[in-house]
Amino acid sequence: MTSSLGAVRGVQHRDEREPVSVERSNETNSKWLDAHYDPLANLYTFSSCTALLDLHRDGEAKLVVGDLGTGLCNMKLKVYKGTSLMTENALLDLPTGVVTFLMDQNEPRTPAVAVASGPYIYVYKNLRPYFKFTLPALDVNLLEQDVWNQAKQDMIDPMTLKEMLEGIRDKADVPLSVRSLRFLMLEQEEMESFVNLHKHHPIKRQTVITCMGTLKKNMADEDAVSCLVIGTESAEVLILDPEAFTILTKMNLPSVPAFLDVTGQYDVEFRITMACRNGSLYILRRDSKRPKYCIELSSQPVGLVRVQKNIVVGCSEETLHAYTQKGKKLWTVYLPSSITTMGLLDQKSRGFQAVMVGLASQEVHLYRDKNLLNIIRTPDVVTSVCFGRYGREDNTLIMTTKGGGLIIKILKRTAVFEEKDTSPGPPLAQGVKLSVPKKTKLYVDQTLRERENAVAMHRIFQADLYRLRLMAARAYVKALEGSVAPISSVQQEPLQMNAVVQGIGPKFKLTLNIQNTSINHPSIHLLISFLYDERLYSMENSFFKIPLLVPGLNYPIETFVDCLSDKGISDLIKVFVLREGKSAPLLTAHINMPVSEGLAAA
Amino acid sequence: MGLLDRLAGLLGLKKKEVHVLCLGLDNSGKTTIINKLKPSNAQTQDIVPTIGFNIEKFKTSSLSFTVFDMSGQGRYRNLWEHYYKEGMAIIFVVDSSDKLRMVVAKEELETLLNHPDIKHRRIPILFFANKMDVRDALSAVKVSQMMLLETIKDKPWHICASDGLKGEGLQEGVDWLQDQIQAMKI
Ligand SMILES: Nc1nc2c(ncn2[C@@H]2O[C@H](COP(=O)(O)OP(=O)(O)O)[C@@H](O)[C@H]2O)c(=O)[nH]1
Ligand SMILES: [Mg+2]
Repeated sequence: MTSSLGAVRGVQHRDEREPVSVERSNETNSKWLDAHYDPLANLYTFSSCTALLDLHRDGEAKLVVGDLGTGLCNMKLKVYKGTSLMTENALLDLPTGVVTFLMDQNEPRTPAVAVASGPYIYVYKNLRPYFKFTLPALDVNLLEQDVWNQAKQDMIDPMTLKEMLEGIRDKADVPLSVRSLRFLMLEQEEMESFVNLHKHHPIKRQTVITCMGTLKKNMADEDAVSCLVIGTESAEVLILDPEAFTILTKMNLPSVPAFLDVTGQYDVEFRITMACRNGSLYILRRDSKRPKYCIELSSQPVGLVRVQKNIVVGCSEETLHAYTQKGKKLWTVYLPSSITTMGLLDQKSRGFQAVMVGLASQEVHLYRDKNLLNIIRTPDVVTSVCFGRYGREDNTLIMTTKGGGLIIKILKRTAVFEEKDTSPGPPLAQGVKLSVPKKTKLYVDQTLRERENAVAMHRIFQADLYRLRLMAARAYVKALEGSVAPISSVQQEPLQMNAVVQGIGPKFKLTLNIQNTSINHPSIHLLISFLYDERLYSMENSFFKIPLLVPGLNYPIETFVDCLSDKGISDLIKVFVLREGKSAPLLTAHINMPVSEGLAAA
Repeated sequence: MGLLDRLAGLLGLKKKEVHVLCLGLDNSGKTTIINKLKPSNAQTQDIVPTIGFNIEKFKTSSLSFTVFDMSGQGRYRNLWEHYYKEGMAIIFVVDSSDKLRMVVAKEELETLLNHPDIKHRRIPILFFANKMDVRDALSAVKVSQMMLLETIKDKPWHICASDGLKGEGLQEGVDWLQDQIQAMKI
């Protein structure tokens, strides 16, 4: 009987749950339209090297990608229009950042593209090279310079040069130049030619750009002129003037920045958030040369996105943390896999922002606060995500994959991301129905009856309540009239009495405190009588006279009671205060005797 | 004169107005095509576009055209859907050079076909695979495949490649539409 019931219940459960999971996957799919997928696009890049812009001001936004190629060759700046590659320009070194910005107020307001690569920023206008900015050279180590000068004059041989450079490398505050470091890596037979090739050129020490962003100059408008903000390998943050490309501000960091986010305006107030290689976030503000806030992460940052005013940082230990712009931690999400890339989904028409997180598990998760709203499954691991207006469609998601593929999805125009939590785990489990027992017929009948006769039931209850109150009032009056209360209401003899029982048994001490409450009328000829069950209790004196009671004084009258039972039962003892010659008591007190506990010991 | 003379004349006898809806994504070429179809004596009522919602209307003695962009993110969608009820024929313009948004056009068509005011009516739909002159533009066959037109079973439909700028391909489409409207026996 029970087993068959259990089986039936099991089947029901499955029926209830399955449609839910199907619905979820459908819902996930239905948010996006698959506009394009080219697994062989040969596009190798990261989110920081992709940008969308209306390059030709024709209402059709293009995709600009800094392609890392193989990492050694084939580095290119590529521009996509729709589903196809429009142009490509060769790059000399790996791109580390691609941004678009407006340099000036000149008409037509063609946006420029800036590509950070090595120590340079290449600026393109109308896809034509326009300007090249070079980071200022760093100070070189004087000892190193000296040693190379000696080599130049053939005063030392390559082996000596190597030994001296090694000595400098190990001790010096100023690091060696790239040339010296490369030299130290060479095999002995390669050294001679290397020295001869380079010794006539002065040594230089150059830092490189690690990340790049833009900062509005003095207006918040979408098409306002912007400064470039760059982070360097020498742990500096530079802000460049958009027209003159001079360094407007230089700030120092405790570590090398890997990701940055910029908000505000240069001339008003701004904040630059830097995720650094030492596992910390630093927040810089306009008027301080040093970081204003520091957030120490538990592991290396692998992505940084700002959602409205909050900072969301992805870490190498498969977590996503959110902080306020003052560094207060808001939440942490644990991810099912490691993060490959991060980006912001900004659905401007709905004022909706969320964080896209590319995962090694071939998924892109969409988080709004700590809620997982949407999962996109991808045919390959995604290495870059970029969301915005592309072509003529406002909400387009462009992703590139590890294998060089290009995926373009368009958010359905009717799609709305719901704020509910779709992440797996406890919240889902809570949705599973408990097998609450069925409502009994009795319960249902009773509920129905209560629903139908609510008014009548209420009236009956009210009538009974009044009746109860009436009965209580009557009993009270009767008690007063019969003097069965501990206060005497007789005008001539106003008395008050209370009783105290002391002891644990079998012998109890009973103390009656009697007080004459009249102002100046003494009480005389009063008697006390006890009434009790003689099988249970015995008293030496259960009827005696009490002395004259002076008004206002308390008269404690003590007497002893013996409990006769060892059964642990107790009873009432009634006390009457009487006037000589009258049978009706002046007052009555009922003493609830405690259970005798001392009998066993006695 | 205009391309619609035969239809207008035919309907003129019946003294009955026919409402034609001309839809498609923004930039597909609707305005361009309609301007080509428009007889010189047509009265144009250009309605000032509200934010995110652009609609044009014009009328001949017996035909009224309502043209609008299927664009935007929903807030104004019900504004244009409101015109579905009075439409008796549909011209759906697709930009065959915009491969990226073909899927969006397909989605909009699907939404249109599932709308309660359209779903159960045998309303004829003429598709223009427009901008056929653009290099790399998809053929009408390809457009029809990508839009899954063969799945439309309960409505007469027809697709032809067109060049809205030169007016090429428009006559073929309009002839088909006229036959359909005539067959409706209004
Ligand atoms: N090459 C080409 N361009 C076209 C064609 N039809 C329209 N256009 C252009 O496409 C753009 C959008 O056309 P328009 O009629 O305004 O589109 P609507 O938004 O659907 O009304 C305009 O620049 C037209 O000149 C065509 O057949 N071929
Ligand atoms: Mg138009």
